[in-house]
Amino acid sequence: MGPPPDNNLVWAILCTVLCCLPFGIVSIIKSTKVKELWAQGDTVGAQKAADEAKKWAIWGAVAAGIVWVLYVIFFVVIGLGGAFAGY
Amino acid sequence: MQDIKRIWKIALLITLFGGFFLIYFIYNPSENSFFIPCPFHFITGFFCPGCGSQRAIHLLLHGDVVGAFRFNPLMVLTLPVLIYGLGITISNWIFETNHRFMLFYSKLFIFGYFGSAILYWVLRNLSFYPFNLLAPSS
Repeated sequence: MGPPPDNNLVWAILCTVLCCLPFGIVSIIKSTKVKELWAQGDTVGAQKAADEAKKWAIWGAVAAGIVWVLYVIFFVVIGLGGAFAGY
Repeated sequence: MQDIKRIWKIALLITLFGGFFLIYFIYNPSENSFFIPCPFHFITGFFCPGCGSQRAIHLLLHGDVVGAFRFNPLMVLTLPVLIYGLGITISNWIFETNHRFMLFYSKLFIFGYFGSAILYWVLRNLSFYPFNLLAPSS
């Protein structure tokens, strides 16, 4: 049997150290199932779990990205406000 | 055609990682205010598992492992695994191979790692010894 599908755990870990752990939790749960299903010979199920893990990792990253963009805009506004308040 | 695609991928990665390296090598987040602080810390005042990572990366790039450890021990300990895992993912992407890092399939590792991350999240917010050592040093 070949290698199991990529369970994308590396992105969940990256999320953890980049301060968006909550978004990655579903992805983590899904990724734990990949190897088990693969070992049972359920290649379709394993691929499905891996795809789900990937989907949630992407949603997590998108959600984190939106939060970060809003947050950066907020900072820029505060910064500009501070700059104009000086005049 | 295949080669051109490969060269583009490598060029993209060099730009991204090179930019990242230069910014964190040249500027110290402790001294430069244009670094964006952690949103969780900014809003709640508590530390998240990632707090201190930017300052720790700056110190690591300058070879100060102990100093980096004081800012974020979990990040420093995770880094070797993360670099290896990302390396495999990136080389799979460039060379279209199917290598796997089997540690990422171990339930013990997955639950152990994320369990410790959550425990670490709580503990580093306690303000008494020895847990205050886990908070980013100021």
